[in-house]
Amino acid sequence: MKNFEMALPNSVDEAVGLLPKTLSDDRARLLAGGQDLLTEMKEYLVEPDLVVNLKSIPDLDGVVWASDGSLEIGALTTLASLEKDASIAAAFPALVQAAASIASPQIRSAATVGGNLNQRPRCWYYRSEDYPCLKKGGTECFSYYGKNRYNAILGGGPSYIVHPSDLAPALVALGAEVQLISPRGERVLTLEEFFVLPSEGDVLRETRLAADEVLTRIRVPAPAAGQRSIYLKFKERDAYDFALAAVALVLQTDGDKLASCRLVLGAVAPVPWRCTRTERKLAGRPLGEELVALAAQDALADAEPLSENGYKVPLTQGLIAEAFEALTI
Amino acid sequence: MVDPTIRWKSRKKLNLLNTEYPRVDASAKVTGSARFSHDMRLPGMVYGRLVMIPASRATIESIDLSQALATPGVVLAELAEEDKDQVRYLGDDAVVAIVCGTSPETAQDGVRAVQIEWTPEDNMLISEEQISAPDAPKINRRGNLRQSGERGDAEKTVQALGSADVQVSATYSVPVQHHLCLETHGCVVDYNGGDEATVYASTQAVSGNPGSFARHLGLKSSQVRVVCQHMGGGFGSKFGIGLEGAMACRAARQLKRPVHLMLDRKAEFLMTGNRSGSRQVMRAGASKDGRIVALEVEAFKFGGTSGGSLPTPPYMYQVEEAYAKINTVHQALDGNRAMRAPGHPQASFAMESMVDELAYGIGMDPLEFRIKNLSDEAHHRQLRRVAKEIGWDVHPNRSGPGKKPLASGQRPAGAPLPPAGDHWKEGIGFGVSRWGGGGHGGARCEVRIDSDGSVTSSCAVQDLGTGSRTYVGTIVAEELGLGLNAVKARIGDSALPPGVASGGSVTTGSVAPAVQHAALLAREALEKKLEPVLGAEPGAYTFDKGRVFVTDDPKKSLSWQEACALLGRDPLVVTGKHQGKLADGGVHGSQAVRVAVNTRTGQIKVLDMVAVQSQGLTLNRLATKSQINGGMVGALSYALFEQRVLDADFGNLLSANMEDYKIAGAKDIPRMRALIDDDDMRPTVSGMAEGTGVPGAGAIANAVYNACGARVRHLPLTPDRVLEALKDA
Repeated sequence: MKNFEMALPNSVDEAVGLLPKTLSDDRARLLAGGQDLLTEMKEYLVEPDLVVNLKSIPDLDGVVWASDGSLEIGALTTLASLEKDASIAAAFPALVQAAASIASPQIRSAATVGGNLNQRPRCWYYRSEDYPCLKKGGTECFSYYGKNRYNAILGGGPSYIVHPSDLAPALVALGAEVQLISPRGERVLTLEEFFVLPSEGDVLRETRLAADEVLTRIRVPAPAAGQRSIYLKFKERDAYDFALAAVALVLQTDGDKLASCRLVLGAVAPVPWRCTRTERKLAGRPLGEELVALAAQDALADAEPLSENGYKVPLTQGLIAEAFEALTI
Repeated sequence: MVDPTIRWKSRKKLNLLNTEYPRVDASAKVTGSARFSHDMRLPGMVYGRLVMIPASRATIESIDLSQALATPGVVLAELAEEDKDQVRYLGDDAVVAIVCGTSPETAQDGVRAVQIEWTPEDNMLISEEQISAPDAPKINRRGNLRQSGERGDAEKTVQALGSADVQVSATYSVPVQHHLCLETHGCVVDYNGGDEATVYASTQAVSGNPGSFARHLGLKSSQVRVVCQHMGGGFGSKFGIGLEGAMACRAARQLKRPVHLMLDRKAEFLMTGNRSGSRQVMRAGASKDGRIVALEVEAFKFGGTSGGSLPTPPYMYQVEEAYAKINTVHQALDGNRAMRAPGHPQASFAMESMVDELAYGIGMDPLEFRIKNLSDEAHHRQLRRVAKEIGWDVHPNRSGPGKKPLASGQRPAGAPLPPAGDHWKEGIGFGVSRWGGGGHGGARCEVRIDSDGSVTSSCAVQDLGTGSRTYVGTIVAEELGLGLNAVKARIGDSALPPGVASGGSVTTGSVAPAVQHAALLAREALEKKLEPVLGAEPGAYTFDKGRVFVTDDPKKSLSWQEACALLGRDPLVVTGKHQGKLADGGVHGSQAVRVAVNTRTGQIKVLDMVAVQSQGLTLNRLATKSQINGGMVGALSYALFEQRVLDADFGNLLSANMEDYKIAGAKDIPRMRALIDDDDMRPTVSGMAEGTGVPGAGAIANAVYNACGARVRHLPLTPDRVLEALKDA
């Protein structure tokens, strides 16, 4: 990788002060656990002159339960510590399941929650320096005509990446918000708003994070009474792997009916893909096979597979069915 | 002079051999103290990196090395070939320059500073469409697609097909597989000018390589020593020194300082060979009573610029009338090299699948169908054994896929269970192998006994991870009645008596007999020293538990130390050579697999694999089981995950790292049971490991069919293919 300087700020304010003001200025990069940034630097996908190491800032890691039962997660909290937290597992099973599904124990011990949400795509065209793809300022998404078995079936165009985060679908399903801090102050977005489709914004990025902004905390609202949740990740192999498809499902039942649910798909779209229409259709329906079938069918009704990834439709439908069955049958 | 009726001790009398014992270098490997070629750090050493053009076909306009040479820390940057103006294939032909730097980082900076102007050609000659285009350039002088073999009578085969009770037409294909040596190819050349060099090479042929390195160093074979104490995998791809070895020598020769040149993973994938792919278009017929009456095959081998490998069908099974036509397809890609039973896993996957399809086609138990069409008794007994172990006798679905989940009692006790849910279906499949192994002449082993009782056994042979270092010591310890670690084994150094190249699973059959011969010679020479002291003639002694006895008068004895003290100042040194009688090839293996398939998502979970393998006398049962497990792991990975991904439009490799080229990891490994076939009572040794990787992929595919009716005819068995095949189930 290219040589760089590393800054060790003592506060978030100091850190954001070191960041460039515009997105086109890529001389500085934020470092948390380093599990994505360092690989990008080793592959020469990014070549910052300055790396701002957030690990020197106190109080950005760890979790805090608020009196209302909501959970605040510091951006530097490691995936390993989330995965091992019994109280989180009790309140938000999907979150712990998602954390535990990521990469390997070695990576989870270093990787952070903030880094996981801000990680870049895994598409092989993006990750290879040989391809000047759309995501790197080029003019073409090579996966569209090329090898695309792992690419998007929903929400694609002009880029067809899938968002690789496992935490993101789980946290969107749980209704999480993120706190962002910049020299202009603090703002809070829902995590759902935080992610942007390539057709909606800057194709070079996957989020609304400004150039001089840091994601500092994630707030997960208190679980509603009777809330159940699950995260199912389909990997091509059981050893560490990114998802081919994933399903995060949070729901409440009312007797033998589904009261409400939040259904979010992972690894099938450039963002965590919330199935809002399906959620509305399902609310109030009786539990059972019909509901499961409707969920699976409706959630993928808009899928537009590329040449090699049509299999993701039945695969994701299978996962949705498994998720509903696990929580309701 | 050793008795011309030389033989191994009878199995009953063995104390060490044929038992389970750990490898002598196990702790060094686990703790990291074992030094691999990659680990060598020498005074003044520089790091070499190769510069490649990332395209299979390109015209080179210019290469400017000036900025590389100006990079701080770079000590050498030069063209691979003067006046090279074209890349003809994506492999070592795409290497255009070498850069050496005082650290890996500076060398890499130098590589990036090389300015290359190149233009991709219109046709990258990768896809079959590209290579068969009317105006496609020829990759090989004989064309891009050519017939390379033919056997059998086409007409008679068609007639026999017509007379069959059941006919199956199917096309099977397997992709190119990488060797994926954890330690990449390369070497460290320790040369500082002058007339001697030592090369630390990751090689399967320590004794065979000094000459190749010497040529590139401008030296003679006698002036170059090749050392390989430990290596991280070869699998058939590390016989020669490769372009990387030649370039390292060239740089060391110019710089007169040591050069470390180990390939990075991408270069490893691009230029160190692979297992060729294949497509086999088959028609076969069976009679109702379970005979394979006809097999017609048109096969295509995909070996890049090389020929590919595939044994001419029919593979393994007896077929009454067969016709095979073999074609070689050339692509502008790295050529295939030998890899773990070259050609056999490809042939096995197609044939075991077809055998299964025929068996189910006539409604016959696929186990019985196999036994009926295999001629070797060893396979019959082995298949019955693995069938029992995997639970075939209590399996309810022996003539076709079942509809319901298995009930308790329909699996053997202790069988791993599938995940819960009716959509998880469970099935069993089989496969068999035969392999050559055995040994050949050429290996020598020196045994030295010193008066302090220490014993050294030396042979240049490399240890690819099979345990050769261990048996070079333990064979001698067995003969001299000593303990496991009493004999120091010296291997992996061309200065020692020669070993053989490790290919075809012949290392054990070639080296172990020479070690045993040396052990017997040493024992005989020591007995001569004992005669004046203990009174008995050579041949009348027993060596056991660190003592030497007169066999007929055990009161007359010496401790090992006392016996060796008789040697005085002169160590006892003998050299043994290969003894044909001590080795014999021809080994058999049979495997069975239990899988679970998720019919919603297409996920396959292998639950249980069992292999039984013959080899004659086993030198180390633990190491042999490890080899059998390794064969099963390799086959599972080949069956489920591995595939090279290329973008044919750009002539470039997409699966250029171990994230995108997926292999089985620890969590993908099911219960595996490696059973040694002790019914093979031959008093001879043989390697067997290559055979163990052959049947697994076919057995897994057959188990998937047995589970859910999805016949997947293309490897790897990824969820998309399972879901597609389920549509026809």
